[in-house]
Amino acid sequence: MTLLWGFLWGVAAVATIAGGAILGVWWERKVSARIQMRYGPQQIGPFGSLQMIADVPKLLFKEDIVPALADKAIFKYAPLFVFGPVAVSMVVIPFTAGWAPLDTSVGVLFFLAVPSIEVIAILLSSWASHNTLSTLGGLRATAQMISYEVPRSLAVLAIVLLAGSLRPLDVVAAWRWWWMPLTFVAFVIYFIASIAEMNRGPFDIPEAESELVAGYFADYSGMRWASFMMAEYGAMIAASLFGAALFFGGGWPFGGALGVVVLVVKAVLIMTAIMWVKWTFPRLRQDQLMSFCWKVLTPLALVQLVVIGVVLAWL
Amino acid sequence: MTLQVLAFALAALLMLGGAAVVALTKDLMRLVVGLGVFLLGVAGLFLYYGHAFLATAQVFVYVGGVLVLVVFAVMVVHRASGGRPIVASRHDIGAAAVAFGVSGMLVMSLRGSVGGWLPAPGASGASIAEELLGGHLVAFESLGVLLLVALVAVLVIIGSGERR
Repeated sequence: MTLLWGFLWGVAAVATIAGGAILGVWWERKVSARIQMRYGPQQIGPFGSLQMIADVPKLLFKEDIVPALADKAIFKYAPLFVFGPVAVSMVVIPFTAGWAPLDTSVGVLFFLAVPSIEVIAILLSSWASHNTLSTLGGLRATAQMISYEVPRSLAVLAIVLLAGSLRPLDVVAAWRWWWMPLTFVAFVIYFIASIAEMNRGPFDIPEAESELVAGYFADYSGMRWASFMMAEYGAMIAASLFGAALFFGGGWPFGGALGVVVLVVKAVLIMTAIMWVKWTFPRLRQDQLMSFCWKVLTPLALVQLVVIGVVLAWL
Repeated sequence: MTLQVLAFALAALLMLGGAAVVALTKDLMRLVVGLGVFLLGVAGLFLYYGHAFLATAQVFVYVGGVLVLVVFAVMVVHRASGGRPIVASRHDIGAAAVAFGVSGMLVMSLRGSVGGWLPAPGASGASIAEELLGGHLVAFESLGVLLLVALVAVLVIIGSGERR
């Protein structure tokens, strides 16, 4: 029975991410178009919302090309392990007060830890392509992802300290509205580090098309390529939901089913902000990226932690 | 009960399969994949014993940290050589003997202490931290130093290889 439930949750998570990716791509096309003073998709369906129904079969039926010199087994199956962890990390998100698909005492740590499997998968897929540009992209992606894991974890730690628990449901239950101004810096750090973790612009140096073609997935086509894209959108959805739950109190001020709706609205706002950032700022340089992580974000996160510590002592 | 047996079997299978790949393959990248599978199996075993915190930390530190470090080392050392990195050793039998000897030694030395100290299933991170930073502080810290020494040694070995 438990096994069956686990299986169902897995299907639900994958379906959520796939559906969310489809909606997300459409939303991003709209947002980016508006930022660039265009209309974006508008021909197919209302506001062009059915455009993706044409795009998904195209991806499904594209030829699946495997380079002759690639390490076939790793090349073929690594994309699954890029996408899988993102789906798995969805299960600990507290969707409303008192309910998360998987209620575990280490949920926050789980959410931060599982994407590290993705790092390995990206590195392996980039290497398996037997292509210098891919490998370079993979190395860049790895350096970026493991570096930004530090400020991201420290930012989340601020909330964990305030709540006194690693259980996401406890954090949502303990959340108070005045945490928002108090942890605003932590949220900004979480926001920036999350964008860097999902390799999105302006942190898309690993896939910089003007220098690395497409970076670690340059040799992928069709559905294998799409699983990288789904992983990116999935990471965006998961990070937005988790950020909305931790930093903005989940479904606050509502509970129950209405809480889920409120959480999703908050998450969509965060996602829109992520897209806004991507379409506004130019791509950073590799050294700028690294020094920004270690010289700005990490010290700032530590300062935020000290502030939280002082407030906690004073409370 | 059967589900628990299944979970244990899965964890054991991951560990044994991963270990077999590590021991038998010559392809360095596949070896790393095997190591990753093995480490995930260990995380599964922690979960089976009810240590969710330990399992998560295992994935965080070993799969996300140590394994990435290993892959990095493989990629950086084997730059621009063209072919796939291969483990080339003239000492297969000797290496096997050393491996069996070390694992035998570990089993002999650990046999007495297994069961003596095991946190209760479902023990929180706090109790584990208390054990590690309380009574076992010296062992814990010296392990850290040992890892650092190993890392420096690897760098020295690679460096001396480059000069030749």
